[in-house]
Amino acid sequence: MSPTPVFELKNISKYYGEVSSLSSLSFRIDRGEVVALIGPSGAGKTTLLNILSAMLPPDDGTFFIDGKPVSSLTSRRQRARKLGIIRQQFDLVGPLPVVHNVLAGRLGEWSLFKSLLSYLFLQDKELAMHALHRVGLKDKIYEKTAHLSGGEQQRVALARLLVQKPEVILADEPVSSLDPARAEDIIGMLVRLVKEENQTLIASLHSVDLARKYFTRIIALRDGQIFFDLPVDQVTSQQLSDLYKIMEMKEDAEVC
Amino acid sequence: MNAQVEHETKTTRRRPGFIAFSFLLAVTLIAASWIYILFVEEASLFALFSEKNLEHTREFLFSMMGIGVEEPAFFSKESWMNALRLTYETLVMSILAIGFSVIGMVLTVIPASANYADGTLMLAKKWYSRLVYGVIRILYVFSRAVPELIWAMLIIFIFKPGILPGAVALALHNFGILGKLCAEVIEDLDMRPIRSLASSGAGKTQILIYGIIPMVMPKFITYILYRWEVIIRTTIVVGFVGAGGLGQQFKLSMSWFHYTEVTLLLISYFILVVLSDFISEMLRKAVQ
Amino acid sequence: MQKFVDLHKRNLLSGLLILVFVWSLFSVNWGPDLFHSGGKHTILQMVKSFFQPDLSPEILQLAVTSAWRTLAYAVTGMTLAILLAVVLGVLASGILYNGKQRIWVKSSLRGLLGFMRAIHELVWAWLFVAAVGLSPFAAIFAIAIPYGGILGRIFADMLNDVKPEPIQALQSNGASRLQLLCYGYFPLAAADMISYTMYRFECAIRSSAIMSFVGLGGLGYQIHLSLDDLKYHEVWTFIFFLIGLVILVDLWSRFLRKRLVS
Repeated sequence: MSPTPVFELKNISKYYGEVSSLSSLSFRIDRGEVVALIGPSGAGKTTLLNILSAMLPPDDGTFFIDGKPVSSLTSRRQRARKLGIIRQQFDLVGPLPVVHNVLAGRLGEWSLFKSLLSYLFLQDKELAMHALHRVGLKDKIYEKTAHLSGGEQQRVALARLLVQKPEVILADEPVSSLDPARAEDIIGMLVRLVKEENQTLIASLHSVDLARKYFTRIIALRDGQIFFDLPVDQVTSQQLSDLYKIMEMKEDAEVC
Repeated sequence: MNAQVEHETKTTRRRPGFIAFSFLLAVTLIAASWIYILFVEEASLFALFSEKNLEHTREFLFSMMGIGVEEPAFFSKESWMNALRLTYETLVMSILAIGFSVIGMVLTVIPASANYADGTLMLAKKWYSRLVYGVIRILYVFSRAVPELIWAMLIIFIFKPGILPGAVALALHNFGILGKLCAEVIEDLDMRPIRSLASSGAGKTQILIYGIIPMVMPKFITYILYRWEVIIRTTIVVGFVGAGGLGQQFKLSMSWFHYTEVTLLLISYFILVVLSDFISEMLRKAVQ
Repeated sequence: MQKFVDLHKRNLLSGLLILVFVWSLFSVNWGPDLFHSGGKHTILQMVKSFFQPDLSPEILQLAVTSAWRTLAYAVTGMTLAILLAVVLGVLASGILYNGKQRIWVKSSLRGLLGFMRAIHELVWAWLFVAAVGLSPFAAIFAIAIPYGGILGRIFADMLNDVKPEPIQALQSNGASRLQLLCYGYFPLAAADMISYTMYRFECAIRSSAIMSFVGLGGLGYQIHLSLDDLKYHEVWTFIFFLIGLVILVDLWSRFLRKRLVS
């Protein structure tokens, strides 16, 4: 008997009005997989990630997390233990010092009293220190978060995930607002940390190169459907150029 | 000049209808008001500059400067000490006033934000949130539309003269202004960090402490300090109706024709205004 | 300790401000002496008459004429304030001249604008009444001076913030400074200047209403008279008219600003 998959989707569909954003998606993702989600913009990557994070109910189909329906994740604590989310750099509370933004990963575990206390006297500080050390920001612990560069802010977000320790990490375009070198740094770090922590990662990406270099499996979406779903070494350049071809023309047409 | 400016904007916008209407309305209002003042109220600008009036004005200015006055107040230590005490009283009144209005604002501002009322802020909605939102917004409009002095006139019927009624009157007016400004800050809040906190497992109170409060705080403090500057300027006015401080003394000195004392009070008032502008600017920079 | 300060810089500041407020509470002698003996009764009466404002035809007619007078003072005061502000604002922005005297003129004019604004309009009104007697012009000047001061400062800032490219283009075409002003600066800053003026117009209505305190007519004067006679029903009628006037002007100015800025 194969182990229970982390995610199992059967014929998942989502509509916005008349238009279908996702139509009849089916796949499973096993524990420890590092999956890249690629495809042209508007292909439905964000919608799919929102469904996986249980924030958006699908209109059709069945969806299991760990073999159970989503509704079994009742408390926010359970959900935070299962799923961690990272998006673009604007996800942090800018005026707060870095350390509070890191420790926010513990809020689901803490009692209300403990979280109030931590505002004045940091709780679980070693945890935050250790996480910041692992992302190379130990000396910025008391810095105002808004003063950090975009890449540093994303590393703070990674440190938050280290403190939260979810089983699965869902990353929605985590590096789309960074320059290429910084983006590769962050993705490399994210994948490394996920492997060290034995977590499962699903990340949507703009860059095919990063997907091929760091991930083990690629799911390509186009027009709300799976274009291909292959281990990374079986993806051909032909498939990739087909994936983006028509959309590029459409985007060009829209610009003019 | 106004006409030209209006014309410029009118031709560059897509929908000139409302702007053209506003322009016409403005011109009509200005013309009608001046006609009313000059012909119905028969106020004559030239009459102001009549021989008699100029003589009177000169006398008034001279006696304010202490020329020909036997014991000008600004040479008396006692008057200075009195003015100093009143300035201090006025300062305390302004702090009480801003404090009261901030308390009122903090208690009402969250339900007065449109994004709380429709449930997007806390990701939860109650059936009565719309109603509470409407009631508080009406209170804000009411509180802000009535000037401080009118509030003071009403309040003074309840409180005995002193700095408290002045502070309450100032607070009643500024409560609505601060409430409106701060509710807009919450409405313009970046929701992304809040959703992110929620996905890390934070509950409502935790989102409030680690998300909403830190993000709105700098802007709240900036607005509060700005309003404090305005309150300092206005303290003298509520004093006119017996609400204490420099204003009350100003009124007394005016009615006893002690014009050098009036000058002294005005100097103290001016120094207080300049000083508070300076302090407020310093604090605003510290918050950023 | 240093770490604690780093972590709580803003909280410490907020704490300090709260402490100042708490300290100010101690300068009030809390106790039953704060209230008039009939205070409670008065509140009840005021609240009761809030729900039954006097709507008799005479009072309504009086309210309408007083509201108009309040509006007229505000409009005439603002007209003068705009004239003052445009002249002083242009001079204080320093766009008309350069060279050595520029900084000197700029800062002294900004000082003057600050002084005009620092003193409350009602104080100006009182000084004018004392100097020239009861005349609508006392109210008009009293509004024109502080509003001229604040508008002038903001206008100067707006003229300074105009995008430099169009101005440079005009300059290279050989435009004189005055031409720059009329064809460059004013058209570019106009929308912002009008928006801000409209924003202040609402405040001018309130200022005009309280001019009555020094004996000049209008809604405030009627409120004052009715309060003296303890006719709270009438007081609320006039206050409602004032609120209505303020809301009307606020709505007008908000719509216009939206149109101008978008």
